[in-house]
Amino acid sequence: MTTVMDLSNALAGAVERAAGSVFAVHGRPRLPSTGVHWRAGLIVTANHTVELDREIELTGPDGRTRSAHVAGRDPSLDIAVLRAEIDGVPVADIADDGDLRIGHLVLALGVGPRASAGIISALDVRAGRRPAAGEMLAVDLTMYPGFSGGPLIDVRGRVIGITTSGARQHLQWAVRASSVTRSVEHVVRGGRIPRAYIGVGTQSVELPEALRQRLGLAQATAVIAVNVRPDSPAAAAGLTIGDVIVSIAGHTIAEPEDLVAVLRPERVGSVVTVSILRGGDPRDVQVTVGERPRRA
Amino acid sequence: MSALAALEASPPHLAQIAERLRRVTVEVYGTSGGGAGILWSPDLIVTNAHVARAPRVDVGLADDRHVEARLVTADRRADLALLRIARCGIAPAALADSDALRVGAVVVAFGHPLGLRRTLTAGVVHALPPALPGGRRWIQADLRLAPGNSGGPLADTAGQVVGINTMIVGGLGLAIPINEVRRFVASATASPA
Repeated sequence: MTTVMDLSNALAGAVERAAGSVFAVHGRPRLPSTGVHWRAGLIVTANHTVELDREIELTGPDGRTRSAHVAGRDPSLDIAVLRAEIDGVPVADIADDGDLRIGHLVLALGVGPRASAGIISALDVRAGRRPAAGEMLAVDLTMYPGFSGGPLIDVRGRVIGITTSGARQHLQWAVRASSVTRSVEHVVRGGRIPRAYIGVGTQSVELPEALRQRLGLAQATAVIAVNVRPDSPAAAAGLTIGDVIVSIAGHTIAEPEDLVAVLRPERVGSVVTVSILRGGDPRDVQVTVGERPRRA
Repeated sequence: MSALAALEASPPHLAQIAERLRRVTVEVYGTSGGGAGILWSPDLIVTNAHVARAPRVDVGLADDRHVEARLVTADRRADLALLRIARCGIAPAALADSDALRVGAVVVAFGHPLGLRRTLTAGVVHALPPALPGGRRWIQADLRLAPGNSGGPLADTAGQVVGINTMIVGGLGLAIPINEVRRFVASATASPA
């Protein structure tokens, strides 16, 4: 017979189990974020909490501090993978089998441990800037400051995702463990997460009502190419400054951030259809997605 | 029986816990809106110092009696106050060991948030941070509190009081651990009146 006491003990036990693989990530000023020991020596956290060119330190559940460096970033998922020498801290129990249902009890964890309880409120999240179905889920719980990059766990204490939204936004998202594992495997296999790019710099642009009606476009904005990098995939495909990009591979592009969301690491090497307006006329351009040249 | 149905059928379930807390939670009527209090013994009530600001306050008991309470002592820094009433004949609160609390454990609060009398809210223990040097310890709870919960009980799933709800900070409920309250009451009742 299950009692509410059993439930309480189970939740506390799940927190205890998962907290053993949780690190404080010092990758930005003031408030540290949270990270999870995903594979031996690899810590996953939220990309937006790790600043560029910054020395990163990790504080483990054992209280010891270690230095780390960024092994890969996936801005489209807001995931960063850090590498560090880690001994004496177990890797998390990752549940990336996808057996999640709306209504499941979940907990979000921060360093300490700190906990927040709630439920899975949506799967297959496609809303907003976030990418493909099956990568994100929405949770109904309170994300407290510093929780970003921390684990979302089930009632068994298994990690089912990484929370990324933080207290800054009003929606609570988590990246599903299976998608995180894919990012981590890029690092394991190639030492990095490839950054997909086509080589255009863009700005948001409003679409005139008459144009939208004539072309049957639902979106109010698109992005305009303000520079096209020479020798880039976009240049090779004939895109030029002034072209207005309305969609890529069927995904609406309303803001520059939408490009980031569409250009997943998996798209490197694949051909995508870029729908543009040139001089007010629609046309489709085939672009072979490249890998962003690494900074010197 | 499904596990969830069992949660509502196998004692102690939340409805029973709510009933236990209802009996030991009082209303304290203050000049600044009032709050809640916990029946500590048949003639003693513990609440927050910021709830009981006057030497004499009106108290509403669970059986709807209204009695006058005399302030025995208040510690403004600890935000705790002890009130004495005429022996009321109601069984006092059962207390837990707040040092045994775990992060993630289910907790409930009982009180009168925003004047909504005898209201139960539920959540989990968010964090149990160690005291800062010279500072105090708090139970941080991921649960909904509002003014009117102050002085009332935070309880575990056995219906035993683990803390006194005192503050809301950044959406978190902050409660004074009941073991600290025990020490406050012990020293307050040991000293000559």
